[in-house]
Amino acid sequence: MLAEYLPVLVFLSVGFAMAILMLLLGSLLSPRRPGEAKDSPFECGFEAFGDARMKFDVRYYLVAILFIIFDLEIAFLFPWAVVLDKIGLFGLIAMGIFLGILIIGFIYEWKKGALEWE
Amino acid sequence: MTFELFIFYVFSAVTLFSAVGVVTARNPVYAALFLILAFFTSAATWVLLEAEFLGVVLVLVYVGAVMVLFLFVIMMLDINIDTLKEGFTRYMPIGILVAVAVAAEMILVMKSKTFDRPIPEAAPLDSSNTEAIGEILYTEYVYPFEIAAVILVVAIIAAIALTLRRREGVKKQDQGAQIRTRKEDRLRIVKMKTEAKQGER
Repeated sequence: MLAEYLPVLVFLSVGFAMAILMLLLGSLLSPRRPGEAKDSPFECGFEAFGDARMKFDVRYYLVAILFIIFDLEIAFLFPWAVVLDKIGLFGLIAMGIFLGILIIGFIYEWKKGALEWE
Repeated sequence: MTFELFIFYVFSAVTLFSAVGVVTARNPVYAALFLILAFFTSAATWVLLEAEFLGVVLVLVYVGAVMVLFLFVIMMLDINIDTLKEGFTRYMPIGILVAVAVAAEMILVMKSKTFDRPIPEAAPLDSSNTEAIGEILYTEYVYPFEIAAVILVVAIIAAIALTLRRREGVKKQDQGAQIRTRKEDRLRIVKMKTEAKQGER
């Protein structure tokens, strides 16, 4: 059972080893001559002003939370797709009602203009 | 030590390391990235327990969506770590008190009779974990399943009600109006006499 995940593990370890190797080679082989100009913060040719931390618009948050809700919907669809042939028509109708309720929410957010980006 | 146990130790060690990183990282964005690593290795632990569905959902929902939200919240709050660190020594006695209380509670609970019982053997499944969940979720527990949909709709409406703001005075392109416009709307031809050039007077 777990042996099926061996390729994933091999993939993970090769990816990790590659990342380590490249960072290591880069730090070992590259020449390092830091200077005042190189170390100074650079922003499109002019002097840096302000902080990189700035307040983001709250609308990004709205987009993210709407995404989470439909992401959870997908999580419910996974086991349903696996056992659909066993649970038959009842399962199909159950998922139909589930999706129907969520589509009401989707229509609400569409009509309300939550997906618009003025 | 079997190979499986070795893999478990590796992933657990990374989970613990990244969990410590979450609370010790100076930059909150780094803390969020450590949390993503902790979620990933926890998902690997789930898979080792043959709970693939939970592992997939952990990556899909938490890493894919919740952490995006976390990062947006961190950026939205504009956390300045220097002002947060202020008053650390002043609040430390209360912090230590709370930590000791929570630790004592946890030890008392773990030592209690309720938890002092043999670990039950997992019932062997004839099919995969995901199928076992699916077979009862959409039949036996269909009512809570539909309730979950209603709760998600409530979350949609609450999020929109709390954060949707109409912004006044946004200069926005209206393609329809641009296409429908005619020459007469924009251009005015004024008849006037010819004027002499400035130098020829």
